[in-house]
Amino acid sequence: MTDLFTPAADWQRLPDRYVTVRRLGALTYNLATTLVGVLAVGFLFDWGWAGALALVGLAWTGWRVIRAGRWVRSFGYAERDEDLLITHGLWNKRLTAIPYGRMLSVNVESGPIDRAWGLARVELVTASVQSAGHIPGLQQADAAVLRDRLIAAGEAQALPL
Amino acid sequence: MTADPGPVGFPPDALPPAAKLTERPHPLTPFIRGWVVLLAVVISMGREFLPNGEGPRPLPPLEIIVAVVAALAAAAGVAGYISWRFTRFVIDADELRVDTGAIFRRSIRIAFDKVQSIDVVQPLAARMFGLAELQIDIGSHERSKLRYLQLGRAYALRDYLLARARGYQAEAATTTRSVSVLTDLHEADEVLVQVLPQTLLLAAVTSHEFWAIVLGGLLFVTVGLAIGQWWVLLAAAVPTISGLFGFVSRRVTGQFNYTLSRREHGLRIARGLTSLTSQSLPARRVQAAQLSQSPLWRLLGLYRIDIEVIGWGAVTDNEDKSGVSTILLPAGSLAQVQVALAAIWPRADFTAIELSPAPLRARWLHPFSGPFLRWGHDQYLVVSRHGWLVRRWQLVPHARIQSVRVTQGLLSRRLGLADLEFHTAGMHIAAHASGVEAGVVLERQTELMALLHHPGPDLSESGAAIGAPDSDNLGMDGDQAGPDALRADQAEATISSTE
Repeated sequence: MTDLFTPAADWQRLPDRYVTVRRLGALTYNLATTLVGVLAVGFLFDWGWAGALALVGLAWTGWRVIRAGRWVRSFGYAERDEDLLITHGLWNKRLTAIPYGRMLSVNVESGPIDRAWGLARVELVTASVQSAGHIPGLQQADAAVLRDRLIAAGEAQALPL
Repeated sequence: MTADPGPVGFPPDALPPAAKLTERPHPLTPFIRGWVVLLAVVISMGREFLPNGEGPRPLPPLEIIVAVVAALAAAAGVAGYISWRFTRFVIDADELRVDTGAIFRRSIRIAFDKVQSIDVVQPLAARMFGLAELQIDIGSHERSKLRYLQLGRAYALRDYLLARARGYQAEAATTTRSVSVLTDLHEADEVLVQVLPQTLLLAAVTSHEFWAIVLGGLLFVTVGLAIGQWWVLLAAAVPTISGLFGFVSRRVTGQFNYTLSRREHGLRIARGLTSLTSQSLPARRVQAAQLSQSPLWRLLGLYRIDIEVIGWGAVTDNEDKSGVSTILLPAGSLAQVQVALAAIWPRADFTAIELSPAPLRARWLHPFSGPFLRWGHDQYLVVSRHGWLVRRWQLVPHARIQSVRVTQGLLSRRLGLADLEFHTAGMHIAAHASGVEAGVVLERQTELMALLHHPGPDLSESGAAIGAPDSDNLGMDGDQAGPDALRADQAEATISSTE
């Protein structure tokens, strides 16, 4: 399919396993923050408000868990000749083009949940923090290969700063 | 740096046989640095003994106060002397060394070719003794400071270091340079822009910040009168008037005698009435510029330029701050704006760029600024205009763009619009274009990427005029028509191949 956020290119999608990882991550993160918030409000103010907050937190968690599948399917990246395209987002869609020549470094990270599913996250660092070139949930072997390809392309096309 | 053993720029009498120049801070340094501390001590002690609602506390006998103050002064004097005694600036064949500390020795080495810019700053206290501080920017968060030197000496040292930083063997930098108290100008300087105090005053009282304070005061008074409390008039008038006075005097004294000048080694901004700052401006490190215009300035034809430079931190909003400031032009006409921008980007001319307006339906999303949204680009710059009351132009050179993003929210998808973000290494001028036609936004992104990949001659270099042996610049000068023609071809090829 070709639309505004997936122009004709060789688009790579994330593995389906990453949906599970993202759900787990959302679940642990949201439940932990909700618990902290509920306890704080409960002890400091009023348990009625804390209950309301708990409901909101649970609804938010459920929403994120349900949306995780669609979010992961919305994510895509494409390696073009001179730049990398990254697209993601459901409501706020974005398409970022990062030239290989502007890459300063490429990081591969893998947290405990990621590792349990054999996944890793690739991060492209440019001089701008706004570039936000993250590609989460790649299979570890793919991540390593992608990193090597990106570094090679970055060295071959380095642009003067 | 060939066989030449050392700095040739210093007069023979200052040049020791080992070609190493050692310098001490001025002997008055500890007093100037210390008086702030002493003042703080006196104030905090005074506050201890001031009556604070629980009845007056008895003052200790006068002898004790005198003794304590004398002991503190003596301790500060000894500490100051020791720190002065062990502080040394050493200029070597290819680096500057700053040694400090009596117990914990600290030695900072600054390679000349890492120096990005040097500012000469004179806080009021130092200024009264004709001393100045040298701040050296080497691209990290912290600036190395040499304080305090005699003003003429500081200027000479600055010129010498900047010349070395640009890769020249230094030319004549004399210690006996005649120095004006108000400006940092030399007969060799070419003055590009000078802003008169009356212009600053006019710009300050017609700026939107000024009228925001006035309106705030009026609002307060109206509310007060509406509820029939006449004393509100006084309660509102005093802070409003003092706020206005402070605002105007900050703008005028901070930027007093603003001068943008050029010497062979680079650009420089000098400004200030009570504390004088002379900062060098590294054109290559400018990431983006923002022009702004308050509503009344549109009648007067005034503009202000803020720039974003790596390592200079946030865009300055406090004009009074001594030290580095990101204001390229505090207030000036369009002609001055063009001169100032041409100084940092000689090849680019933003007035020649045709800006395309946002489609009519963008007003649903931007009810106020919609009619004024415009953006466009040429081979050097991307320009986007925003703002309803305060008009803003964001200027980003292609050569400084790190990545380009298309974004679209739920509403803009309905309207068939999209936004474009241009990411640079700076974070404070978030350049973007709003309300771009969704049908062409991808084409524009591809165009921008093509321009980014195939830059022409560097836009900070004015063609043949610059001869500095900058390593990253070699091979880019010279053949001017070639790269241009090549780039145009490639840009078209890229567009057609990706669509």
